[in-house]
Amino acid sequence: MTFSLPRRALLLSASLVLSAGPVLLFLTPANASTYGQTTRKNSGTPNSSIVVKKKGLVVKYGDKYITYQAPSSSLNDLGEALYMENCASCHGSQANGVPASGTAGAYPDLVGLGPATIDFWIDSGRMPAKDVRAVEAPRRQPALTPDQALAISAWVNSLSPSYPSIPTPHLKNADVAEGAAIFALNCAACHTIEGDGDALAESTFAPSLRHIPAFQVVEAIRTGPGDMPRFTGNLSDQQVNDVVAFVTTDIQHPNNPGGFGLGGLGPVAEGFVGLLIGVGLLVLICYWIGERS
Amino acid sequence: MSDTTIPNTKRAQREAEGPYGKIGKSLNELDDRLGIAKGGRTFMDKIFPDHWSFMLGEIALYSFVILLVTGVFLTLYFVPSSATVIYHGAYKPLDGQRVTEAFDSTVNISFAVRGGLLVRQMHHWACDIFVGAIVVHMARVFFTGAFRKPRELNWTIGLTLLILAIANGFLGYSLPDDLVSGTGIRIAYSIMESIPLVGTYLAFFVFGGNFPGTAVIPRFFILHCLIVPLIILGLVGAHLFLLVRQKHTQFRGEGKTEENVVGSPMYPVFMAKTTGFLFIVGGATALLGAFAQINPIWQFGPYDAARISYAVQPDWYMGFLDGALRVFPAWEFTGFGHTWPLEVFIPAVLLPGIIFNLCFAWPLIERKMTGDNEIHHLLDRPRDRPKRTAAGVAMFALLAMLFIASSTDVIANFFHLSLNTVLWAMRILVILSPFVAYPITYKICKELQGFAGGGKRKTPNLVSRTVEGEYLATPTPRYHEDLDHELRPKLVPTFIEEEPDEPAESGVRTVDR
Repeated sequence: MTFSLPRRALLLSASLVLSAGPVLLFLTPANASTYGQTTRKNSGTPNSSIVVKKKGLVVKYGDKYITYQAPSSSLNDLGEALYMENCASCHGSQANGVPASGTAGAYPDLVGLGPATIDFWIDSGRMPAKDVRAVEAPRRQPALTPDQALAISAWVNSLSPSYPSIPTPHLKNADVAEGAAIFALNCAACHTIEGDGDALAESTFAPSLRHIPAFQVVEAIRTGPGDMPRFTGNLSDQQVNDVVAFVTTDIQHPNNPGGFGLGGLGPVAEGFVGLLIGVGLLVLICYWIGERS
Repeated sequence: MSDTTIPNTKRAQREAEGPYGKIGKSLNELDDRLGIAKGGRTFMDKIFPDHWSFMLGEIALYSFVILLVTGVFLTLYFVPSSATVIYHGAYKPLDGQRVTEAFDSTVNISFAVRGGLLVRQMHHWACDIFVGAIVVHMARVFFTGAFRKPRELNWTIGLTLLILAIANGFLGYSLPDDLVSGTGIRIAYSIMESIPLVGTYLAFFVFGGNFPGTAVIPRFFILHCLIVPLIILGLVGAHLFLLVRQKHTQFRGEGKTEENVVGSPMYPVFMAKTTGFLFIVGGATALLGAFAQINPIWQFGPYDAARISYAVQPDWYMGFLDGALRVFPAWEFTGFGHTWPLEVFIPAVLLPGIIFNLCFAWPLIERKMTGDNEIHHLLDRPRDRPKRTAAGVAMFALLAMLFIASSTDVIANFFHLSLNTVLWAMRILVILSPFVAYPITYKICKELQGFAGGGKRKTPNLVSRTVEGEYLATPTPRYHEDLDHELRPKLVPTFIEEEPDEPAESGVRTVDR
């Protein structure tokens, strides 16, 4: 096969157009959306103990499934001191998101978020942030103790008392199967059905649910940290309690026969195992029992 | 005198029965009536080349056997029905949930049937291995040029088998009606709908109405367990018949010509080897089934159109389709009173159509391009056909990138990258990979052609210093085991009728075509 020069040039340019064309088509006008600091979500949702919608009473915080308790006001002084030490450099001395040297709106306003929000972010180690420019603060070893987190949330809450307070789920009253169904409907779309979490758009991610204490699961559901939606009116305390029971039992300690779980990565890991270990091993055996020259 | 004595010892009786014994005698009686011994003789003398790469197809064959055996077991307990029941079984988180009978019975196979989970996992692993082995076998056939005249028909059959295997894998994956496979069926429905003009009708025809309906599970069950396996079985028969009829190809080597086949006869050498290999494939599948979890549907829960789990991928052989769907930009147009979902049609219908048609047409394409119309029984080394090798590697690179693109979310999560960055990287890699793989492979092939000892170990150079102070580097001879033995032909034993006194290599036989 010998092509004359023009034909070869034609072939080359055709392949270039074929390869470069789609790349050009992929280009869309630059998206001006800014993904920066995590800001308050669902800011329109009222933070009262009774969420009222136009149609009537929807959810009341606190019943026999989950009890909510505001942190003691005796912690306020300790909380203020801890806040000034750990949080004020970004969120400002008034907790309004305006630091001493900076503009309004650069950091989240904490006033009126409710004690559960403050407690969740500190107790899961996300705050104080290690890298303030990170799109989403990852779960870390907490820098402050649970008592210190409570104290800070008590002080921030004293600026403008609001809900939800610190929750305590009562898992004995929970229905795990009901929780599994609610989880599949509301949570699996991001956290995956096995609770392993996964990457979402633009460096945000749904974290793994494997090692999260029960009260933090409630706090996350009720306050909607980061990109997570805040579930208030649409899930009752009983339903939240069911979900928490499912997460802390069957997600975190699954009855999961069948051998090594392959990291919960699903068919991708299965494909690699099937091809490398399954087919690969058998090809090696072919090589072993066959002739090799 | 001794000839007429009545045999009174067991040994004497045996000798009197002749060399074949009682069994041989009754078999002879049988052959007097059926007359198949002659054909059987030819079959038992069928020569199989000994090279290891000729056993790759057997992995596929034997994993198919395992699929049939384990599949029969599973049909005993599986209920192919979309009717809903309330689950009350061993797996507590599902207790009280409304599930289909298909899902209910699959969870029961996993938890309540003795050995059910093992067989289910073996079935699934055997499927992954089946398709994988077909691909590896096909790669061997492609890169060595075994598809050339006169074997184009067998190439076509093999490729059809691959497509049927992928299709049947998808059908079987869909049967448990769990959350993940239900999502897969939904995607399949959308792909069907995306076909211009006939799409909606086709989807309604296959699903018996709108998605999801209640017809699809029983229909998929009949297709998966009856129709497609029967076609596969028939085509495997045709594949093997043509293999025996056309005889094997073989690599170039001592005593191997276009006119003969060198290797081991079916009986006894190959039969022993291949039976052993059947057990090895079965053992490997059983080990995977016992120790590696696959498709834990109880964790996924039942399918419900309102539910979706993130991080869902299809089985690996469908991965390239999923990857293509993921990386393709959202091209959807409205016109002529219709929506034109090109973002589905191009990657999920057009692209696999082009890829598979290209594979079907390759023997023809190559014949046209090279003008080579000869009959070939001797195989090429991949390096000796750089353009074909490069084209094959380019295709594999494209498919591999599409496969990797089906796990963009897993990659992003695992390496803490932005999902969008990963997606963009995959878009570029998918398009670039064939264009990068082709010239690199071509160049490597050309380089390997350039020197005879390509791929052999290098020997050290002896550096010596002369009295004048000059340094000389003298190459040392090749290692003995790396020497080319082609110039020193060994004696090739002749065919089975003439037993050589001392076969140079036990079991090696030659047969004329």
